[in-house]
Formats: sequence, structure tokens, C-alpha cells
Amino acid sequence: MEQKIAEMKPNKGDINSVIMDYLISEGYPAAAEKFAQETNLFQSDAFDLSSIRERVDIRNAILAGRIEDAIELLNETNTMILDETPLLHFKLLQLQLVEIIRSVLEKNNGKPASAEFRPALEFATNQLAPRAPTDPQYLSALEKTMALMIFDADKMIPEMKELLDLQLRETVAGEVNKAILESQGLKPEARIRELVRARAWAEAQAKPLHLLPANSDIGLDGDNVSAAHDSDAMVTG
Amino acid sequence: MSGAFHSSPRRPGSGRRPSAERSPAVPPRFQSLARIANQNTRERSEERQLEGGMEERSSSVKMRWSGDKLRYEDNLDCEEHDQHPPFFMPSYLRGNRHMEKLKRAWEMHIAELEERRDVREGHAGSRKMSGSYRGVAHEVVERAPAGLLSGSHSIAGDDVKTSRGLPSRWSEDDKWVGLEVVGDGSEVRFSGVCKTTDEAASIRTDLPMPQEFGLYYYEVTILSRCKEGLIGIGFSGRKTALNRLPGWETESWAYHGDDGFSFNCSANGKQYGPKFVTLDVIGCGVNFRTGTAFFTKNGIHLGTAFTNLKATQLFPSVGIKKSGEHIRANFGRDKFVFDIDGMMAEERRLIRDQINKTDVSLLHPPDDESTLIQKLVAQYLAHEGYVETSKAFATDVQDRSKSLSKPGSQSESTLFGAEDDVHTVNRQKIRKAILAGDIDKAIKFTDTFYPQVLLDERNKEIYFQLKCRKFVEMMLRYSELQVAATPSTVSNGHTTDDALDNQMELDDQLDREFAKQSQLQHHEGDIDMESSTSSLHKSGLMKSNDYLTAALQYGQELHAEFGGDPRPAVKDQLREVFAIMAYVDPRESIVGSLLDKRGRVGIAERVNGAILVSLGKPSSAALEKLCNQTEAFLDAVASKVGGKAGMVNVREDFLRPQDDGPTWTG
Repeated sequence: MEQKIAEMKPNKGDINSVIMDYLISEGYPAAAEKFAQETNLFQSDAFDLSSIRERVDIRNAILAGRIEDAIELLNETNTMILDETPLLHFKLLQLQLVEIIRSVLEKNNGKPASAEFRPALEFATNQLAPRAPTDPQYLSALEKTMALMIFDADKMIPEMKELLDLQLRETVAGEVNKAILESQGLKPEARIRELVRARAWAEAQAKPLHLLPANSDIGLDGDNVSAAHDSDAMVTG
Repeated sequence: MSGAFHSSPRRPGSGRRPSAERSPAVPPRFQSLARIANQNTRERSEERQLEGGMEERSSSVKMRWSGDKLRYEDNLDCEEHDQHPPFFMPSYLRGNRHMEKLKRAWEMHIAELEERRDVREGHAGSRKMSGSYRGVAHEVVERAPAGLLSGSHSIAGDDVKTSRGLPSRWSEDDKWVGLEVVGDGSEVRFSGVCKTTDEAASIRTDLPMPQEFGLYYYEVTILSRCKEGLIGIGFSGRKTALNRLPGWETESWAYHGDDGFSFNCSANGKQYGPKFVTLDVIGCGVNFRTGTAFFTKNGIHLGTAFTNLKATQLFPSVGIKKSGEHIRANFGRDKFVFDIDGMMAEERRLIRDQINKTDVSLLHPPDDESTLIQKLVAQYLAHEGYVETSKAFATDVQDRSKSLSKPGSQSESTLFGAEDDVHTVNRQKIRKAILAGDIDKAIKFTDTFYPQVLLDERNKEIYFQLKCRKFVEMMLRYSELQVAATPSTVSNGHTTDDALDNQMELDDQLDREFAKQSQLQHHEGDIDMESSTSSLHKSGLMKSNDYLTAALQYGQELHAEFGGDPRPAVKDQLREVFAIMAYVDPRESIVGSLLDKRGRVGIAERVNGAILVSLGKPSSAALEKLCNQTEAFLDAVASKVGGKAGMVNVREDFLRPQDDGPTWTG
């Protein structure tokens, strides 16, 4: 098995294109530019650096909690995109509400005076409430978010805590990125994601049949002794 | 090669005719159609000899009719196969992993036979370049351990037992008396007599359905069915009795034309589909993922016929009862009537959906998918020596995490090991030189930084590849110059300034060939090759013929160094690269693929790998290993239980950009 694994070496050009696809798709503009130069395999006009940077700016705004900025940038990129993806628009507004609430909570050590929530309530009434009736999942999401203003931080149920987790920014940023890619006629997800999932899937198929080799480590913690030993077996030239 | 391809075993005394007797003729398909039309007036001269219009291997394969049979004469003197009909790939199996493997094995097999024939006939040097499969064979040989060319091995050790071909014809041996296999092996005719009501005559194919495909399908056209006739179409195990129709016996499953019943290892059938008669096309498919089978009639799916099929060896099988009945099978050489391609696409889509729902958090805990991918990419960039990209990626990642300023999150800089050392920079220099086509510079760098690497016995092959590539680069340069130059400048042998503007670094290499002596003055410490650019280049008076002369001289050196190497792979490669000289513009010729600049990438990778090994590091990046592991796991699963693992192809499905996104492969 080890021998077979070594023999099935993929084509370097294929891997490079997977890397490039990832750098472009997930927004690593500086790396994409350098990679095109260093591999000598990609024409510099084959991808649009400025469009990657646009996506990165939007993403960074979301990650930093500047949702209003993000929405504005998004509208500049594509005026139709939020109208065409109402769920995404709702999620962005919900995140914006979460961010308003967060700033209040942080200001007062988790025990704010009710009056301080006034801007949050206004935002909810003006922006989110009108959308809530259009879809039951909007309504339930809005309810959960509003509850953040009522509960003490230490009495919150996990579902509510998730809303305050910064991971939500990452998730929404990822969805916005996908939506932009799709609106540009590109694949919404980098190929490397499916490749990694296929690796996990293949292992899950092989395991119950007892077909896994003794060492099925993915080899990321590379420089250890066993990895170096493996590599000797891989020299076939 | 496991004796398992396409044709029936060699029969003793199947004599071959001298080629003088062959006469020009009609392509086989028309011939076969014509025969159907003339079924009632089937007289034809006993020795009707035909030569086919084959697309591939036209030099070696001749088709000849003898009576009802079509034979492929190839003069290959194969110990395993009686004949070598052209390889075929059923449409629904395009891009199938196992199918690709079979194709490679088959091509290697033929290449090997041709090699031996050439040696036998003593004109090895004059052999025509035999197109695509030589290249493929080499690709495999390069990676495979020694001895592969000489023995009867398959691609990888474990595959020898499991690597099978796909059914390609009805068996001449595995059939009941009275059945006759005619045509190219796809037709069966019954001329016997069945005495009792439950007696019949059945036949199986040469090989079982490979479960590694995940889905197998073939079609049968009823060419002639009698009024009281009875034809059963389906599949059976290796040992199932052949004196009854398939479906009636244990380990046999079939759909019968007289009543439209399906028979599941029993004489008692179930109402299943319509009856079928002459000129109906009946399809039979087995889905190894679900363990089910279905039939089609004239392109219409008739629904699931059997369930709970186990992954055993199943052979396509038909049974016939009345004399004169005649069928023809399509094992995938021709287009199918039913849209099996669509069904396969749907199967693959289902599996892709399943894959995309897979949780990857156990691959490298505690990393989630995004973190793991970030690490894989960072490790790949560092491992491969893409220094600038590596740094830029680190900056991009930091930029991203700064935005989030997640309190307590791990410092992203830990993603990036301190790879920015002297070795990384050295490897990057070597890679750059190879990618620019400057092989001399690459060798010089390698010898200076890692003097032991190219001398290492294990890396002899890499050294040889570098040396060959240098010749290729010289010829490439020459041909670019030839083409760039206007006809008049070619005729007087001078290049224009325009052409020279395009020359870039490659000139350095050729110039150095001319200025070898001057190169000796080159001082040791500074190996920046730019300084060695000779005045010849700058004067712009280089004659293209001089380039050719230089290439020729170098070719002679190359031959002197490696011509004595006994390995066939080395001999072949030398022959191939020298053949480049025969073409005015080799890039547009049959050897064009040798000149492809992407060939540099592979060599750069191998040199890089060899250096990494010499430094005690793994030769493959984790991302590459991940691809390999995926393939290996899928192979192991597919050959054990078939099914869905067989329908995933890492390269086709995940690595190669298809219809997604812009085309950024240069």
C-alpha cells in the first residue's frame, strides 16, 4: 500500500492549478500574484487581481464587524447581488444586529442597561422586522437574535452563544464570497475543498473493509522521523 | 499483463497468412451492417480478406475475414493473446479511474510487443514513432520500479491479480454446443437443436464485468428471432451451467424475450417488461454501488429487475433456444441506444454530493476544514520552494486574521515553519532555471549547492532527464528561431532582430555551447549565469544553422554519454529526442509533446524532490500525498467491493479544471 501510494503521484501542473484556484477563490491576492510568477505556468492576465482584492476588502470588513461597510462595498461590486440573494442579505443584516448588540454588551461587562439597546431595537424594527414574515427561518433567526438583549450572558443557551461567536463572521464572509463568485459565473468553492473531503471520504470507505495501511497520516507534521523514512521508499527514479 | 485482455486465448495452429494475400477493403462496421442486410444470402467466398481502416496502429493491425469470422492480424507474436483488436472505451466509462488504468496497461502491452518485434526483425532504429501510447508507456515506466518493461507485470504490484480488461467479445470456449461466435466476436448464432423444452444454449463473454467500474452496461441487438424462439439476456457466474437459458440456473439472472419475464436464479420468472423480437435492442446494466440490475428496451429503462446482487464475478451472458436465432452485442465499441452516460453522470453526481457532505475534522485534529487547507497550502508552497508565494501567502493570512482579531486564536504565523532558509532559496534558484529552460544553469546550481545529488546512483535517471531536456531546449530554441524568421532570412541563414528579441534566456544556453572555452574562465564563487551571455547574442548575428550544429554536437555528446545504457527506457527516450531533429517545426509535429514547455515542470519537480530527499525531508508535499492516499484508498475499495469508490477519479473530478471558472492553465 505504501508503495502504491508513492506511485500514484499526481501531476505537478494539476496541483499547481488547484493551489491557484484556491488562492483566487478564497482571496489571497498577493500570493496569487506571486504564484503566477513563480510557477511560470499562469499568464498574468488569466485572472483579475482587482476583483480578488474587491472580495478581500468585503471579507475583511465582515471579519472586522464592519457590516455596513461590507454591504456598501458589496453593492458597489454588484448592485443586484443582495436583491438576488435575499437570504444572504438577511444574514448580513442579522450579523449587523449582532454586532450592534455585541458592542453594547462589551461596553457594560455583559450587564447593560436596557436603554442602551435602543439603537439595536431601532435597527431590528427598521431593517429586519419587515423581512421576517417572508420566510419562517427569518422569523426564528430574528427571535433568537433579539433574545440576546434580554438574557444575561451567563444564562444564554448555546444557540444564542453561537450568534456571539466570531465564527459567525467567518461563516457569513464565506457565504458572501461564494455569492460574489457565483454572480461572476465562477465556481463558488475552491477545488481543494472537495479534494480534502474526498480524502476523508475515501478513508471512511476503506476503514470498515480493513483496507487502511498502518500509517494513514496525512503527512502535515512532515519532518518527523517516520515521514522521512517513508519518503525513502518513495524514490522510484 | 495478467492474460486478461480482449481476446480469446491463443489457439494452437491459428495460422497467419502472409501479408501478400491481404487486399484493400471496406471498414468493418459497414461490412457488418452489410452482412445483416444480406442475412439470407450469406454466401461469400471462403477467403474473403479485408483490411480495416483503423485509426490507430494502422501499421501493425490488419483485419481479415475468414468465413464468418473477423480476425485482427498484427504480427506481434503475443504469448498471451491470440489477437489485438483496437482498444475501446465505452462512452460512459470515459474518465473512469479503472478504465484509464486498463488503457495504460493495454498500451504498455502493445508497446512492449512492438518493441520485441522490432528487436526480432532487427530494425529497431527505423521503427516509426508509434504515437500516443509510447508517451503514456514512458510516463508509467518513469515512475515504476525497474523490470516493468521486461516482465509480464501490470502497473502496480497488487493490480496484477485484479487488473482485468472489460468484456469485449463472446467467448469461443465458454459456450454450449451449437452456438457459433461470428463477426469480430460480438455476434452469436445458434445452429444446433434443443431436444427438451428446458434445454437451450448459453454463452458468456471473455471476461467478467469489472466491478471497479461501479456500473457496467452492455446492449444486445436481436438480429433474428424465430416465432417460437426464446432468447434470454442477462449475466451469470463463472460456473453456471450453459445448457439452459440464463436466469433459470443458480448464479444467473436474465430477461427473456418470449414472455418479458425476469428470472432470478430460478425457473419461475416474474412479470418484468415487454416481450422482445427481431431488431429490438435490449440493454443490461449492473450497478455495483446499489447491488441492483436493470434492463432497457430500445433505449427505455424498464426498471430495477434484481436487487441484493453480491459483488462476485459476473459475466454478460445470453441464451438461445431455436436454430437460426442470431444476436449481436455492443460491449461499448459503438454508441449505446440507452443514455447510459446520463445514468453514470447521475451516479457520479450522487457520490460527489456525498463526498461534499463529508466531515474532514478527523484528518488532522483539531483543525477544521479551512485551517487544514490553509496548512496544506502553506506546507506545499514551502516544500516546493515557492519562496515568494510562501511569504505572500503568510502576509495574506495575517491580513485576514488581523481583520478578525479573534481574541485567543492561535497565532497564524505558526502555520509557516521557518522554511525561509538557504536551502529553500537554493531550490528556488534551481527551479527557476529549469522552468526558464536553462538546463546548464540548473545543473551548475545543483552541482554547486548539492554536489552529491546528481551523482547519486538513485538519481541517475533524473540526471539523464536533465541532459535530454537540454537537447530538447536547444532544438526548441532552434525551431522557434526558424519559425520566427521570415523565409528570406531563413534562406540566407540570418535571423532578424525581431526574432532575437524573443530569445530571452535560452540564448544563454546555446551561446554557452559556442563559448565553452570562455566559460572556463568563469569564476567559481559567482554562479550568476547572466554574466556568461556571450557577445554572439548581443551582436545579433547568430545563424540559425549554427544553433542546429550546436544541438547536433551536443546530441553526439549525449549519445556518447548514454548511448551505451542497456535500459530500454533510456534507449527509447534518446531515440525520441533525436527524432526531433527530423522536423522543420517539431512543435507542430508528432514529437511536439516532447517540446512542450510544461515538460520542464516535471523535471523541476523531480530535481526538487531529489534535493529534499538528500536533505532528509519527505520528497512529496502533504497535499500530493493526500491525493495519492485518496487514489490508493479508492483503488483498494473499488477492487474489493466495486461500487461507488470506482466512480470517483481524483484527477478528473478534483484536480483538473473542467467547466468551472476561468482557464488559467498556461
